[in-house]
Amino acid sequence: MLVRNKQSLFWALAFPLIFTCIFGFFFGKNTTLGSVTVIDQANTDLSKGLVTALSDSKLFTINKESDINQAKDAVKKSSLSGVVVIPENFGDFTKPEAPKNVTVIYDPGNSQVAATLLSFVDKFLTATNFKMQNAQTIFTLVEEKINTRELTYYDFVLAGILGLALMNSSIIGISVAMSKYREDQILKRITTTPLAGWKFILAELFSRLIVNFVQINLILLLGVYVFDGHIYGNIFIIYLLAMMGAILFQLIGFVISSLVKTTDAAQGMATAVTIPMMFLSGVFFPIDQLPKWLYGIVQYLPLAPLLRMIRAVALDNLSPLENPKNFILVVCWIVGCLIVSSWKFRLADE
Amino acid sequence: MEKVITVKNLVKKYKKLTAVDGISFDVYQGEVFGLLGENGAGKTTSLEIIEGLRQPTSGDITVLGYDLHTELQEIKEKIGVQLQSSAYYHYLNLQEILNLFASFYKKSINPEELLHTVGLKHKAKEYVSKLSGGQRQRFSIVASLVNDPDIVFLDEPTTGLDPIARRHLWSLISNIKAKGKTIILTTHYMEEAEVLCDRVGIMDKGKILALDETHKLIEKAKNPYTINFICKDLSQEHSDNLKKIGQLENIYGKWDNYLLKLSKREHLDQAIDLVQKIKPVSLAVGRAKLEDVFVELTGKTIDE
Repeated sequence: MLVRNKQSLFWALAFPLIFTCIFGFFFGKNTTLGSVTVIDQANTDLSKGLVTALSDSKLFTINKESDINQAKDAVKKSSLSGVVVIPENFGDFTKPEAPKNVTVIYDPGNSQVAATLLSFVDKFLTATNFKMQNAQTIFTLVEEKINTRELTYYDFVLAGILGLALMNSSIIGISVAMSKYREDQILKRITTTPLAGWKFILAELFSRLIVNFVQINLILLLGVYVFDGHIYGNIFIIYLLAMMGAILFQLIGFVISSLVKTTDAAQGMATAVTIPMMFLSGVFFPIDQLPKWLYGIVQYLPLAPLLRMIRAVALDNLSPLENPKNFILVVCWIVGCLIVSSWKFRLADE
Repeated sequence: MEKVITVKNLVKKYKKLTAVDGISFDVYQGEVFGLLGENGAGKTTSLEIIEGLRQPTSGDITVLGYDLHTELQEIKEKIGVQLQSSAYYHYLNLQEILNLFASFYKKSINPEELLHTVGLKHKAKEYVSKLSGGQRQRFSIVASLVNDPDIVFLDEPTTGLDPIARRHLWSLISNIKAKGKTIILTTHYMEEAEVLCDRVGIMDKGKILALDETHKLIEKAKNPYTINFICKDLSQEHSDNLKKIGQLENIYGKWDNYLLKLSKREHLDQAIDLVQKIKPVSLAVGRAKLEDVFVELTGKTIDE
């Protein structure tokens, strides 16, 4: 039945895959922060060194151009992230009047790229200054990575998309379906038969878990094999955690359908539940950036501890019980929703 | 005859509204028992309580000897229900729906066989949404037979159907009865109650106003006998003579069409003689309808 409802099935599977692809194209393999045009009017060793350094950093996709105005237009239209203009004779030490400034043209609205580009060019020029003056290095910076694994933002967000997909399809799927069954009197008709209510509910849960399982497979296959996402932990545990999340969200769906009377109301309430969780549970960015008071609340939302567990396994190869609080939170949500839905959800009106 | 359903002092209240107000009746094995009344009379509420869909406020109900309060699961195995407006899963075809419902029972009939009995075998692989209104109602009724029930509940089975489709459904219901099943149906169609039901309970405002075999209810009408005739230019004298022995009225404003209602069998022959003297264009002798009984009891008609 779920398979024959092609529209619903399409959105259950396509929606998270669209997100996986969009984020993959932005942050997956071989992606950079943006395109930068370098206008090298000097063509000296120093200018070529800067161009090579920019290119080798792989932070940006470097284009070479000669028309400053055209390049500026492109930045204004956001089809270019920045322009580096190296003036004529820059780095030509035979000419004392040669210019000593490099101009970086950027859009302040694109702060992430601007900061990185400015910082890079500034660092290059600072290093060149020191070298020119034969300055001795006194203080240095030492980097120590908390883990040596190759991790990108895409790896972070892939786990988020997994949770998002399960949440949306389960909460909205169950709440709307049950409400529609109630409106159409299908639930009432089933109540006239000897079929036990719990059997009906289990059957609905189980059939949707199969769809969830397919979702998990598609997202992980696409994310890892097409967009070079990384999973360092036990994939079996990730599947278990994801299915645990699927059960949790389906129970939330049952709670919603037991509280509303119409399909429209179910749709509305499900959206009101999923949208805040989508943005406040760490799907796209870490929630510890939020104000303390808000973080204090949202860290307990159902999706938040689930994502923390999945990321602990997938990115850090830790046990999901490394921080038992997350596991306990998810279990508490499952038990709570089970109690509420058992108490309130009815197949018949009375 | 064996009683299959007993209802004693059934009451159903919703806050200030009393939907069912202390009704009692029995249903006998093999009969077609009807609850007749307008919308809001309490028919569907009464039926759904017996089906186990609603909780009674008070009252005792037994179905096939099982107590409704304590043995509902046993009752559900032996009854079939067609709801007033039920839908089925959109993405299962007819055969799959019947298979699904059959799986809920210990005993079931082959779905193909069931579809064949209602002329829907060729639609076995279709979705319910592809059926016409009449086909949907036939399917809905046949779905209530999937467990070969002893008692079949039909709630307004022909509502919304055209007269021909309605008659096809009557034929189906008669065939179900012929198989020895007991049928309880609700309806607001007088003719349907008259044609199908062995016994009818007339309900209004949650109460049963009258309950008896259909022909006995009609015989209890104030004017159980009728003569219908067409006569152009009925004279005042003849009109007065007819009014002395019965109630004379024009039928729905048609000036040449008359209906003479008689309260006593003894007046019938005299009335026929009087009418024949007028030399009517058309003459028909009949009896009152259930509608007349309904109007007498409730003071109102049911708008279809």
